[in-house]
Amino acid sequence: MTNVFLKGIEKRFGSVEVIRGVDLQIDDGEFVVFVGPSGCGKSTLLRLISGLEHISAGDIYIGDRLVNEVQPAQRGVAMVFQSYALYPHLTVRDNMGFGLKVRKVPPAERQRRIGEAAATLKLDALLDRYPRELSGGQRQRVAIGRAIVGHPDVFLFDEPLSNLDAELRVHMRSEIAALHKRLATTMIYVTHDQIEAMTLADKIVVLRDGRVEQVGSPRTLYENPANIFVAQFIGSPKMNVLPADAAPLLAALPATPPSAESVGVRPEHLTVVSPGEGVLRGEVTLCEYTGAVTLLHVALDGGHDCLVIYDEREMPGVGSVIGLRAEGQNLHFFNQHGQAILASAHST
Amino acid sequence: MEAWLFVSPSAIGFLIFFLGPLCAVVYFSMTEWNLLTQQAAFVGLANFKNALLENPDFWHVVRNSVIFALGLVPLNMALALTLALALSRPFFGVVFFRTVFFAPVVTSAIAWAIVWKFLLQGEGGFINQMLAIVGISGPNWLREPNWAMAAVIVTRVIKMVGLNMILYIAALQAIPRDYEAAARLEGASRWQIFRMIIWPLLAPTTLIIMVITTIGSFKVFDHIYQMTGGGPENGTLVLAFYIYQQGFKFFNIGYASALAMIMFVIVMMLTIVQVMLRRKGAE
Repeated sequence: MTNVFLKGIEKRFGSVEVIRGVDLQIDDGEFVVFVGPSGCGKSTLLRLISGLEHISAGDIYIGDRLVNEVQPAQRGVAMVFQSYALYPHLTVRDNMGFGLKVRKVPPAERQRRIGEAAATLKLDALLDRYPRELSGGQRQRVAIGRAIVGHPDVFLFDEPLSNLDAELRVHMRSEIAALHKRLATTMIYVTHDQIEAMTLADKIVVLRDGRVEQVGSPRTLYENPANIFVAQFIGSPKMNVLPADAAPLLAALPATPPSAESVGVRPEHLTVVSPGEGVLRGEVTLCEYTGAVTLLHVALDGGHDCLVIYDEREMPGVGSVIGLRAEGQNLHFFNQHGQAILASAHST
Repeated sequence: MEAWLFVSPSAIGFLIFFLGPLCAVVYFSMTEWNLLTQQAAFVGLANFKNALLENPDFWHVVRNSVIFALGLVPLNMALALTLALALSRPFFGVVFFRTVFFAPVVTSAIAWAIVWKFLLQGEGGFINQMLAIVGISGPNWLREPNWAMAAVIVTRVIKMVGLNMILYIAALQAIPRDYEAAARLEGASRWQIFRMIIWPLLAPTTLIIMVITTIGSFKVFDHIYQMTGGGPENGTLVLAFYIYQQGFKFFNIGYASALAMIMFVIVMMLTIVQVMLRRKGAE
């Protein structure tokens, strides 16, 4: 059992508070993604779990063992760095075997484990090459291989795909997902890319300013965001947030929740209709054709801007006035503090 | 034509101040030219033969230069690396310490030597007075042949170590911190991280430092001139100072030029050997 439990974690660098009381339960074998904007503390949180940084307050348990004072190498974790951190003067074989060598694993066992990991990651032919002789994707695989050979209880990934081009990123994403399926080991993955988070995670942890904004499955976060920040961070393009009085124009609702200050609706949930009475009207200011769909930028009558995903063949021209509608179930209401008003609360 | 005009200031400077004197030294080395009489006679390789085969002073001087280099280079590099390791990471006061260790590099070599000459005086010297407090009777540092060489080596190291320290600090700071983090996660001790990661990655810098320090040690002049004048008993008479003596004290310009050519070849060969050894090590 290798679950990870964070209890009241805080981290300060001098007077700067980077992590402000994080509580989190990660189950055995779970793939958890920390996601959030730059500077939200997600990489710091990962380094705290690894032991590369000391916590200022709180407790970290890995596999039911309190590891606050345990050295990084004794925590049973392996980390894949954003830069890969492959030692440039060592071959792929030596890079992968470095940890085993310093732990004095016998050479025969070392070679067996390197061979095993190399076979898993299709690195057999590259074992005697130096990192400079590898492509970005190959380096990424070596970095993962180096993590695998130590048979860690928990894998930590710190934005491992951010240095790859878009095509390779998609490919490596699927390889990491396959690896998780094969190894069934607890994995904690940091990214600022919400598509990566959505596609890989069993559970997503959304962070902002060192605090957890919401924890849940990708579907939960997409369908029931806890606040405006999560609502706009998860989903691409981001959710439109409009004044609550726009809601009756968008959908036929029994009533708008009394505490609602704003209403959110995703671009993919908006339908373009004729701009008659009783619908949300606006003028198209930009059409971005992406192939599968067109992204319409609409300036609403009330002065707000709105994004619409439009999948019809005939698109409205720039300057044309259109009406917008949505299903009532796809509207998200938020109070004055930006917190979501629960569905049950606004249905009554 | 325009291109030639653009490079001409630099090219003219190169010809007058570098290539010209170099050719002149090659020519002088094959002449018997006395500055006082202004008489120059072509003697072929006689000056080289004199230095290498006939004059016993030459090999004594070479021996001194080698001892000086063997003492200075490892000591300088070890101290520079130790200081760089201590001062490469930020902490309160790090800039002050870096400045303290670098300041002697930009201090006048003559002034530095004069100060140390006073500090290292026999009975009245500051160093010996300090040693006397703890019951040690210090030698007359600059008057005893063995101690004189040690004294000029150590004071030269203290003066020049700051430069190599800065080079090592720059190299250490260029090593990504993730390497150390990855190695720590894999269970490497601090010593293992240094030995297996940091030291190999410092190899190019170490080579450069080794080459420039070796060359510098063979060219040392001002320090010897001021502190010992080559003595006692020619115990610190090194090649550059010997060339100066021959050229500007005894006015044997031809012989001095031949010595300069020999020094050039020695330094070049040492550099080539060091580069080849490092390349072999890297393979």
